[in-house]
Amino acid sequence: MKAMKIKRFFQGALVFLLVASFIQLGLWQMHRASDLKAAQAQAATIDSKIYALEDLAAPALALDSRSVGKIVKVQGHYIANFKAPNQIDKAGKRSDWEVALLQVGVTESNQSAILVLRGLWSERLLNPDVAQANLVTVQGIVQPHQNEDVAENSPSQISRLDSSVITSYTKVDLYDGFIVAKSESVAGSALERTRVVVPAPISKVAGYYWQHISYVVIWWLMAAISLFAPFYRRKTIQ
Amino acid sequence: MKSAVTRFRVMAIICGVMSLLLWFVYMPGKYASNLVDDHKILISIPIVHGYLYMIYILTALQLSVQKKKSIYEMAWLILAGTLPVASLLAERKVVKQYS
Repeated sequence: MKAMKIKRFFQGALVFLLVASFIQLGLWQMHRASDLKAAQAQAATIDSKIYALEDLAAPALALDSRSVGKIVKVQGHYIANFKAPNQIDKAGKRSDWEVALLQVGVTESNQSAILVLRGLWSERLLNPDVAQANLVTVQGIVQPHQNEDVAENSPSQISRLDSSVITSYTKVDLYDGFIVAKSESVAGSALERTRVVVPAPISKVAGYYWQHISYVVIWWLMAAISLFAPFYRRKTIQ
Repeated sequence: MKSAVTRFRVMAIICGVMSLLLWFVYMPGKYASNLVDDHKILISIPIVHGYLYMIYILTALQLSVQKKKSIYEMAWLILAGTLPVASLLAERKVVKQYS
Protein backbone atom coordinates (compact mmCIF):
# COMPACT_ATOMS: atom_id res chain seq x y z
CA MET A 1 0.00 0.00 0.00
CA LYS A 2 2.82 2.34 0.97
CA ALA A 3 4.77 1.43 -2.18
CA MET A 4 1.66 2.21 -4.22
CA LYS A 5 1.39 5.62 -2.58
CA ILE A 6 5.05 6.39 -3.27
CA LYS A 7 4.57 5.29 -6.90
CA ARG A 8 1.52 7.55 -7.21
CA PHE A 9 3.46 10.42 -5.71
CA PHE A 10 6.30 10.09 -8.22
CA GLN A 11 3.83 9.68 -11.08
CA GLY A 12 2.07 12.85 -9.97
CA ALA A 13 5.38 14.68 -9.67
CA LEU A 14 6.40 13.54 -13.15
CA VAL A 15 3.10 14.66 -14.65
CA PHE A 16 3.39 18.00 -12.85
CA LEU A 17 6.94 18.47 -14.14
CA LEU A 18 5.93 17.62 -17.70
CA VAL A 19 2.87 19.88 -17.65
CA ALA A 20 4.84 22.76 -16.13
CA SER A 21 7.63 22.32 -18.70
CA PHE A 22 5.23 22.21 -21.65
CA ILE A 23 3.32 25.27 -20.43
CA GLN A 24 6.61 27.11 -19.92
CA LEU A 25 7.79 26.15 -23.42
CA GLY A 26 4.50 27.45 -24.82
CA LEU A 27 4.94 30.73 -22.97
CA TRP A 28 8.51 30.99 -24.25
CA GLN A 29 7.32 30.55 -27.84
CA MET A 30 4.60 33.12 -27.20
CA HIS A 31 7.22 35.64 -26.04
CA ARG A 32 9.32 34.88 -29.10
CA ALA A 33 6.29 35.50 -31.33
CA SER A 34 5.54 38.84 -29.64
CA ASP A 35 9.24 39.85 -29.73
CA LEU A 36 9.32 39.06 -33.43
CA LYS A 37 6.16 41.08 -34.05
CA ALA A 38 7.57 44.01 -32.06
CA ALA A 39 10.85 43.89 -34.00
CA GLN A 40 8.99 43.85 -37.33
CA ALA A 41 6.77 46.75 -36.25
CA GLN A 42 9.89 48.61 -35.10
CA ALA A 43 11.58 48.13 -38.47
CA ALA A 44 8.50 49.43 -40.28
CA THR A 45 8.24 52.61 -38.19
CA ILE A 46 10.34 55.65 -39.07
CA ASP A 47 11.00 57.62 -35.90
CA SER A 48 12.59 61.01 -36.53
CA LYS A 49 12.63 62.09 -32.88
CA ILE A 50 16.05 62.72 -31.37
CA TYR A 51 16.47 60.96 -28.04
CA ALA A 52 18.90 61.31 -25.16
CA LEU A 53 20.99 58.18 -24.64
CA GLU A 54 19.59 57.70 -21.11
CA ASP A 55 16.08 57.44 -22.58
CA LEU A 56 17.06 54.49 -24.75
CA ALA A 57 19.69 52.57 -22.86
CA ALA A 58 21.53 52.15 -19.59
CA PRO A 59 25.13 51.13 -18.98
CA ALA A 60 25.84 47.47 -18.30
CA LEU A 61 22.34 46.46 -19.37
CA ALA A 62 21.25 44.69 -22.55
CA LEU A 63 20.01 47.07 -25.21
CA ASP A 64 16.23 47.00 -25.58
CA SER A 65 15.29 45.93 -29.12
CA ARG A 66 12.84 48.88 -29.22
CA SER A 67 15.79 51.29 -28.99
CA VAL A 68 17.45 49.94 -32.13
CA GLY A 69 17.32 52.33 -35.07
CA LYS A 70 16.45 55.36 -32.92
CA ILE A 71 18.30 58.65 -33.42
CA VAL A 72 20.31 59.67 -30.41
CA LYS A 73 22.23 62.83 -29.47
CA VAL A 74 24.96 62.48 -26.90
CA GLN A 75 27.88 64.50 -25.54
CA GLY A 76 31.12 63.18 -24.14
CA HIS A 77 34.85 62.70 -24.51
CA TYR A 78 36.55 60.14 -26.71
CA ILE A 79 38.77 58.08 -24.42
CA ALA A 80 39.93 55.33 -26.77
CA ASN A 81 40.13 54.53 -30.45
CA PHE A 82 39.89 51.15 -32.12
CA LYS A 83 40.26 49.77 -35.61
CA ALA A 84 37.40 47.51 -36.64
CA PRO A 85 38.75 45.63 -39.66
CA ASN A 86 36.87 43.72 -42.39
CA GLN A 87 33.51 45.33 -41.71
CA ILE A 88 30.80 45.29 -44.37
CA ASP A 89 28.57 48.32 -44.92
CA LYS A 90 24.98 48.41 -46.19
CA ALA A 91 26.14 48.42 -49.83
CA GLY A 92 28.19 45.27 -49.19
CA LYS A 93 31.55 47.06 -49.39
CA ARG A 94 34.22 45.70 -47.06
CA SER A 95 36.47 48.21 -45.29
CA ASP A 96 38.16 49.03 -41.99
CA TRP A 97 36.21 51.29 -39.67
CA GLU A 98 37.21 53.67 -36.92
CA VAL A 99 35.37 53.03 -33.67
CA ALA A 100 35.87 55.25 -30.63
CA LEU A 101 34.82 54.87 -27.05
CA LEU A 102 32.83 57.92 -25.97
CA GLN A 103 32.70 58.53 -22.24
CA VAL A 104 29.28 60.00 -21.55
CA GLY A 105 29.07 59.76 -17.79
CA VAL A 106 31.77 61.57 -15.87
CA THR A 107 30.35 61.77 -12.37
CA GLU A 108 31.72 59.49 -9.67
CA SER A 109 28.52 57.48 -9.53
CA ASN A 110 28.10 57.33 -13.31
CA GLN A 111 31.22 56.56 -15.29
CA SER A 112 29.95 55.13 -18.50
CA ALA A 113 30.90 54.93 -22.15
CA ILE A 114 29.49 53.78 -25.46
CA LEU A 115 31.12 52.72 -28.71
CA VAL A 116 30.72 55.15 -31.59
CA LEU A 117 31.31 54.15 -35.19
CA ARG A 118 32.93 57.36 -36.45
CA GLY A 119 33.68 56.42 -40.04
CA LEU A 120 36.38 54.88 -42.20
CA TRP A 121 39.70 53.99 -40.61
CA SER A 122 41.49 55.57 -43.59
CA GLU A 123 40.03 58.96 -42.61
CA ARG A 124 40.98 58.79 -38.95
CA LEU A 125 43.59 61.58 -39.33
CA LEU A 126 41.14 64.04 -40.86
CA ASN A 127 40.28 65.57 -37.48
CA PRO A 128 43.50 65.65 -35.48
CA ASP A 129 42.02 68.42 -33.33
CA VAL A 130 39.69 65.99 -31.52
CA ALA A 131 41.61 65.37 -28.33
CA GLN A 132 40.38 63.67 -25.18
CA ALA A 133 39.87 67.11 -23.60
CA ASN A 134 37.33 68.11 -26.27
CA LEU A 135 33.68 67.74 -25.53
CA VAL A 136 32.22 66.07 -28.63
CA THR A 137 28.57 66.12 -29.58
CA VAL A 138 27.57 63.04 -31.54
CA GLN A 139 24.29 62.45 -33.34
CA GLY A 140 23.70 59.01 -34.73
CA ILE A 141 21.66 55.85 -34.84
CA VAL A 142 21.62 53.22 -32.11
CA GLN A 143 22.51 49.73 -33.28
CA PRO A 144 22.68 46.38 -31.46
CA HIS A 145 26.09 44.81 -30.87
CA GLN A 146 27.50 42.53 -33.52
CA ASN A 147 27.71 38.81 -32.76
CA GLU A 148 30.27 37.50 -35.22
CA ASP A 149 34.00 38.15 -35.08
CA VAL A 150 35.52 39.33 -38.35
CA ALA A 151 39.05 39.99 -37.07
CA GLU A 152 41.43 39.36 -34.19
CA ASN A 153 41.13 41.24 -30.90
CA SER A 154 44.02 43.37 -29.67
CA PRO A 155 44.32 46.53 -27.55
CA SER A 156 44.06 48.69 -30.68
CA GLN A 157 41.71 46.54 -32.70
CA ILE A 158 38.30 45.01 -32.06
CA SER A 159 37.04 41.80 -33.58
CA ARG A 160 33.44 43.05 -33.76
CA LEU A 161 31.40 46.10 -32.75
CA ASP A 162 30.53 44.92 -29.29
CA SER A 163 31.45 46.56 -26.00
CA SER A 164 31.97 43.13 -24.38
CA VAL A 165 35.25 42.70 -26.32
CA ILE A 166 36.80 45.78 -24.66
CA THR A 167 35.72 45.26 -21.06
CA SER A 168 39.29 44.32 -20.05
CA TYR A 169 40.68 47.63 -21.35
CA THR A 170 38.46 50.01 -19.41
CA LYS A 171 37.00 50.43 -15.95
CA VAL A 172 33.97 52.48 -16.98
CA ASP A 173 30.53 50.88 -17.34
CA LEU A 174 29.85 50.13 -20.97
CA TYR A 175 26.61 50.47 -22.87
CA ASP A 176 25.44 47.54 -24.94
CA GLY A 177 25.27 48.24 -28.68
CA PHE A 178 26.89 51.16 -30.46
CA ILE A 179 26.08 54.47 -32.16
CA VAL A 180 26.60 54.92 -35.88
CA ALA A 181 27.66 58.57 -36.04
CA LYS A 182 25.82 60.70 -38.58
CA SER A 183 27.43 63.92 -37.40
CA GLU A 184 30.01 65.01 -34.86
CA SER A 185 30.78 68.50 -33.65
CA VAL A 186 33.29 70.09 -31.31
CA ALA A 187 32.46 73.50 -29.85
CA GLY A 188 29.77 74.00 -32.48
CA SER A 189 31.93 73.23 -35.52
CA ALA A 190 31.06 70.07 -37.42
CA LEU A 191 33.66 67.40 -38.13
CA GLU A 192 33.49 66.51 -41.81
CA ARG A 193 34.22 62.94 -42.88
CA THR A 194 32.60 60.06 -44.74
CA ARG A 195 29.98 58.38 -42.57
CA VAL A 196 29.29 54.69 -42.72
CA VAL A 197 25.86 53.19 -43.29
CA VAL A 198 25.57 49.83 -41.56
CA PRO A 199 23.35 46.96 -42.73
CA ALA A 200 19.97 46.63 -41.04
CA PRO A 201 20.28 44.45 -37.94
CA ILE A 202 18.98 40.90 -38.22
CA SER A 203 16.25 40.04 -35.73
CA LYS A 204 17.57 37.94 -32.84
CA VAL A 205 14.40 35.88 -32.93
CA ALA A 206 14.56 33.19 -35.59
CA GLY A 207 11.48 31.96 -37.42
CA TYR A 208 8.14 33.54 -38.23
CA TYR A 209 5.23 34.81 -36.17
CA TRP A 210 2.66 32.18 -37.14
CA GLN A 211 5.27 29.44 -36.83
CA HIS A 212 5.84 30.39 -33.17
CA ILE A 213 2.09 30.58 -32.56
CA SER A 214 1.70 27.02 -33.91
CA TYR A 215 4.43 25.87 -31.49
CA VAL A 216 2.57 27.56 -28.61
CA VAL A 217 -0.51 25.47 -29.41
CA ILE A 218 1.58 22.30 -29.83
CA TRP A 219 3.34 22.71 -26.46
CA TRP A 220 0.07 23.39 -24.68
CA LEU A 221 -1.54 20.44 -26.44
CA MET A 222 1.35 18.31 -25.11
CA ALA A 223 0.65 19.71 -21.62
CA ALA A 224 -3.02 18.71 -21.96
CA ILE A 225 -2.04 15.21 -23.14
CA SER A 226 0.35 14.84 -20.17
CA LEU A 227 -2.51 15.76 -17.83
CA PHE A 228 -4.78 13.27 -19.54
CA ALA A 229 -2.17 10.46 -19.59
CA PRO A 230 -2.55 9.19 -15.96
CA PHE A 231 -6.35 8.95 -16.32
CA TYR A 232 -6.00 7.24 -19.69
CA ARG A 233 -3.60 4.70 -18.18
CA ARG A 234 -5.96 3.86 -15.33
CA LYS A 235 -8.80 3.39 -17.80
CA THR A 236 -6.65 0.98 -19.83
CA ILE A 237 -5.69 -0.99 -16.70
CA GLN A 238 -9.35 -1.25 -15.64
CA MET B 1 -12.82 9.68 -44.02
CA LYS B 2 -14.49 6.71 -42.38
CA SER B 3 -12.44 5.98 -39.34
CA ALA B 4 -9.72 7.04 -36.95
CA VAL B 5 -7.28 4.77 -38.82
CA THR B 6 -7.94 6.51 -42.14
CA ARG B 7 -7.70 9.94 -40.52
CA PHE B 8 -4.40 8.98 -38.90
CA ARG B 9 -3.03 7.51 -42.14
CA VAL B 10 -3.82 10.65 -44.13
CA MET B 11 -2.23 12.92 -41.54
CA ALA B 12 0.80 10.63 -41.11
CA ILE B 13 1.51 10.71 -44.85
CA ILE B 14 1.03 14.49 -45.08
CA CYS B 15 3.15 15.10 -41.96
CA GLY B 16 5.82 12.69 -43.23
CA VAL B 17 6.10 14.60 -46.51
CA MET B 18 6.15 17.94 -44.65
CA SER B 19 8.85 16.63 -42.29
CA LEU B 20 10.97 15.55 -45.24
CA LEU B 21 10.56 19.00 -46.80
CA LEU B 22 11.37 20.64 -43.47
CA TRP B 23 14.51 18.63 -42.77
CA PHE B 24 15.90 18.27 -46.27
CA VAL B 25 14.72 21.40 -48.14
CA TYR B 26 13.97 24.17 -45.64
CA MET B 27 16.76 23.53 -43.07
CA PRO B 28 19.64 23.31 -45.60
CA GLY B 29 18.04 26.17 -47.55
CA LYS B 30 18.03 28.40 -44.49
CA TYR B 31 21.23 27.43 -42.68
CA ALA B 32 23.54 26.17 -45.43
CA SER B 33 22.56 28.34 -48.40
CA ASN B 34 20.48 31.39 -49.40
CA LEU B 35 17.68 29.29 -50.90
CA VAL B 36 15.06 30.53 -48.41
CA ASP B 37 16.11 34.17 -48.91
CA ASP B 38 15.78 33.77 -52.68
CA HIS B 39 12.54 31.75 -52.62
CA LYS B 40 10.27 33.23 -49.96
CA ILE B 41 7.62 30.57 -50.60
CA LEU B 42 9.82 28.12 -48.64
CA ILE B 43 9.03 30.08 -45.45
CA SER B 44 5.62 28.42 -45.54
CA ILE B 45 7.13 24.94 -44.93
CA PRO B 46 7.76 25.25 -41.15
CA ILE B 47 4.52 27.18 -40.66
CA VAL B 48 2.37 24.62 -42.50
CA HIS B 49 4.21 21.75 -40.77
CA GLY B 50 3.47 23.30 -37.36
CA TYR B 51 -0.29 23.47 -37.95
CA LEU B 52 -0.50 20.07 -39.64
CA TYR B 53 1.40 18.49 -36.77
CA MET B 54 -1.30 19.79 -34.40
CA ILE B 55 -3.95 17.93 -36.42
CA TYR B 56 -1.67 14.89 -36.61
CA ILE B 57 -1.42 14.82 -32.79
CA LEU B 58 -5.22 14.85 -32.50
CA THR B 59 -5.59 11.99 -34.99
CA ALA B 60 -2.86 9.98 -33.19
CA LEU B 61 -4.66 10.62 -29.91
CA GLN B 62 -8.02 9.53 -31.30
CA LEU B 63 -6.54 6.36 -32.82
CA SER B 64 -4.74 5.49 -29.56
CA VAL B 65 -7.88 5.96 -27.44
CA GLN B 66 -10.13 4.06 -29.85
CA LYS B 67 -7.74 1.14 -30.25
CA LYS B 68 -6.82 1.15 -26.56
CA LYS B 69 -3.11 1.49 -27.23
CA SER B 70 -0.64 1.72 -24.37
CA ILE B 71 0.65 5.09 -23.24
CA TYR B 72 4.06 4.31 -24.76
CA GLU B 73 2.56 3.50 -28.17
CA MET B 74 0.56 6.71 -27.95
CA ALA B 75 3.74 8.71 -27.18
CA TRP B 76 5.56 7.03 -30.08
CA LEU B 77 2.74 7.83 -32.52
CA ILE B 78 2.71 11.47 -31.39
CA LEU B 79 6.49 11.90 -31.55
CA ALA B 80 6.69 10.14 -34.94
CA GLY B 81 5.25 13.30 -36.52
CA THR B 82 8.34 15.30 -35.62
CA LEU B 83 10.89 13.12 -37.41
CA PRO B 84 11.20 12.58 -41.16
CA VAL B 85 10.13 9.09 -42.26
CA ALA B 86 9.02 8.14 -38.69
CA SER B 87 5.38 9.09 -39.31
CA LEU B 88 5.46 7.18 -42.59
CA LEU B 89 6.78 4.12 -40.71
CA ALA B 90 4.05 4.60 -38.08
CA GLU B 91 1.46 4.73 -40.86
CA ARG B 92 2.75 1.45 -42.34
CA LYS B 93 2.65 -0.18 -38.89
CA VAL B 94 -0.92 0.96 -38.33
CA VAL B 95 -1.96 -0.36 -41.76
CA LYS B 96 -0.40 -3.74 -40.93
CA GLN B 97 -2.20 -3.88 -37.58
CA TYR B 98 -5.69 -2.85 -38.70
CA SER B 99 -6.07 -3.88 -42.32
